[in-house]
Amino acid sequence: MTPAAWVCLFLPLGSAAAITLLGTSISRRAAGWIATLACAGSFAAAFVSFVAMLGREPEHRSELSVAWTWLTGGDFRIGFSILTDPLSMMMMLIVAGVGSLIVAYSIGYMDGDDEERRYFAYMSLFVFSMLMLVQGGNLLDLLVGWGLVGLSSYLLIGFWHQRPEAVAAAKKAFIMNAFGDATMALGFFLLIQKTGTLEYGLAFERAHGLSSTVLNLVALGLLGGAVAKSAQLPLQTWLPDAMEGPTPVSALIHAATMVTAGVYLIVRTHPLFELAPRVEDLAAGLGAATLLMAGLIALVQTDIKRVIAYSTMSQIGYMFLGAGLGAYANAMFHLMTHAFFKALLFLAAGIVIHALSGEQDIRKMGGLRALMPRTWLAMLVGGLALTGVPPLSGFFSKDSILAAALDRGWYGGLLFAAGLAGAFLTGLYTFRMLFVVFGGEQSAYVREHPPHAHGDAVARWSMYLTVGALTVLAAFGGWFQFAGVWTPITDWLDPVARPLVEASTAQEAIASVLAVVLGLAGIGVAWWVYSARRAAAPRASRVLERKFYFDELYAGVFYWPAVATTKLFYWVVEGPLVGGSIREVTQLARWAGSRTRELQTGLVRAYVLLLAAGVAALIVVFVAVR
Amino acid sequence: MLGPDVSGYLIVAAFLFATGALGVLIRRSPLIVLLSLEIMLNGANLALIAFSRHFGRADGQIFALAVMAVAASEVVVGLGLIVAMARRRLDLDVDKLSTLRG
Repeated sequence: MTPAAWVCLFLPLGSAAAITLLGTSISRRAAGWIATLACAGSFAAAFVSFVAMLGREPEHRSELSVAWTWLTGGDFRIGFSILTDPLSMMMMLIVAGVGSLIVAYSIGYMDGDDEERRYFAYMSLFVFSMLMLVQGGNLLDLLVGWGLVGLSSYLLIGFWHQRPEAVAAAKKAFIMNAFGDATMALGFFLLIQKTGTLEYGLAFERAHGLSSTVLNLVALGLLGGAVAKSAQLPLQTWLPDAMEGPTPVSALIHAATMVTAGVYLIVRTHPLFELAPRVEDLAAGLGAATLLMAGLIALVQTDIKRVIAYSTMSQIGYMFLGAGLGAYANAMFHLMTHAFFKALLFLAAGIVIHALSGEQDIRKMGGLRALMPRTWLAMLVGGLALTGVPPLSGFFSKDSILAAALDRGWYGGLLFAAGLAGAFLTGLYTFRMLFVVFGGEQSAYVREHPPHAHGDAVARWSMYLTVGALTVLAAFGGWFQFAGVWTPITDWLDPVARPLVEASTAQEAIASVLAVVLGLAGIGVAWWVYSARRAAAPRASRVLERKFYFDELYAGVFYWPAVATTKLFYWVVEGPLVGGSIREVTQLARWAGSRTRELQTGLVRAYVLLLAAGVAALIVVFVAVR
Repeated sequence: MLGPDVSGYLIVAAFLFATGALGVLIRRSPLIVLLSLEIMLNGANLALIAFSRHFGRADGQIFALAVMAVAASEVVVGLGLIVAMARRRLDLDVDKLSTLRG
């Protein structure tokens, strides 16, 4: 079980190193194949490990493997280790599985790009980082993966570095994530100080004796990291800008790696969160607020990728909602189905973007259904799964999160209402996008730029096959679990994260019916507005277009005051004090030098005279002192 | 214990030294300056030997020999410089050699 897990972890890193070191001695296509095979091999290793784990009793499925002692400081020592347990196993399968599909798709999507090799090296590194994050055997190893994920996302979002927007987006993502990393590190410091360890089991055990203030602070630190990585309120602004990267990168960030890390963190450290119930409620509340806000913003976005990006934010909100309520298995289940249908939506959108020569504005699209029937089908499956229409995957996972909310009193009721509103919005914005892009008449732009296929047969089929595979997964991936009847995922995760809430069958039924009805209502409204009448979008509110002014708020609260402060210090301190003093000092030295210079007459006899006079003076002094 | 009275020698040595120093200060021809330097060195040598005799020890004499050696090599260098100056048709005037003026 464990050796396969090590293989799973290091194959993508090996691929990144190999592509980097081989450089131009391999073809671009070969770099793509190396990365794809490494990720697929990683998935195979994870699967071998999974089968081995299945053969064990549920109590003995957790195994910690320490490679070496990494850091020692006094009594505190920490190893480089991986933990293979049902939770990390589930994440490994998702990350490596969906990741390898996306990398395979990139072979076609990135075909002909100038720097394909660099791209595939980064992609492999990204997959390795995420595997490091989920497999890390203690909190520090997790933080290593956490930081590497931030780095890889920075590199990939800014992959097209000749575009200033891409570079700005990459920096924004990195800074937002660095903020989360910092709060997380502070939480870890506190944990080390109070418990003396970062090992999962031991730290959780010792945490029971801590004061509630400390526990709240630690949990808040972890939550800060989670919201930054998962783009939840209030650190969500980097995610839409991250769409500047190539489309498969967006898919990777949204489906397999990166944004799901926050959910994983909460589920992984749930004993700490359970000791700080207020923070847990805060996580659920933030999730609910984010899912509503992102759903509203998605309604007015005109960039096809940004619509999907906001839907990710919204769906991660559901996961936070579930994880915060203690419905860990439901959150993880939704994470899995979301990985399938979100990867599908992004990759299918990538096909559309490619076919239209890089156009991403949905207002210029229209009537693509007849021209791209297979892509339409894939997007339709993805959209229905996202909305939660039975029997597609989203239905099974999202509704059980909502049902769990019903089990938590008035606060849960509030969250439930938010989740239902979110379900309506999901149907609305998803099908707004689908109807505008695929429905109706062909737009002028589409007539002028008829869709065409890129690249050779290999490139095209690498895209079609992966999208097809994801369509199947998005359609049937939800059948792993049907709440109340068939719960293998809950049972699988039970030894690691036992749920706090247990929704009754009646609650499940209520949640399912309401969510499906509202989702369908959303689709209906979208159909009425954007398909039947084909009206221009009802005048969108400015608040939504400006994304609730979060960027402006952060600019006002953090950026401009910082700029003003530096300006102030420049005028008050740098100019007169530092610059001025340097000017004075140099002037003094210059003046002294010019005076001293006059002593050097160049007349040898004058020097001799001075010498003689000096000796004479010395003799006089000598004699006088005697 | 002190040896024979050497004050006469010392007076001559001081006179020689002062003559040399005066020559270095007031003459502008490098040749004469070099000559005056030799006179100063010999004055110093005379004083060294006089004190050597006065204290009955050999150090002063040995040191005088060392000074002679130094004086000889100094003259070699100095005359070489003067020859070089003459070859470049420079005025033999130490006051004109003021390139080091600050």
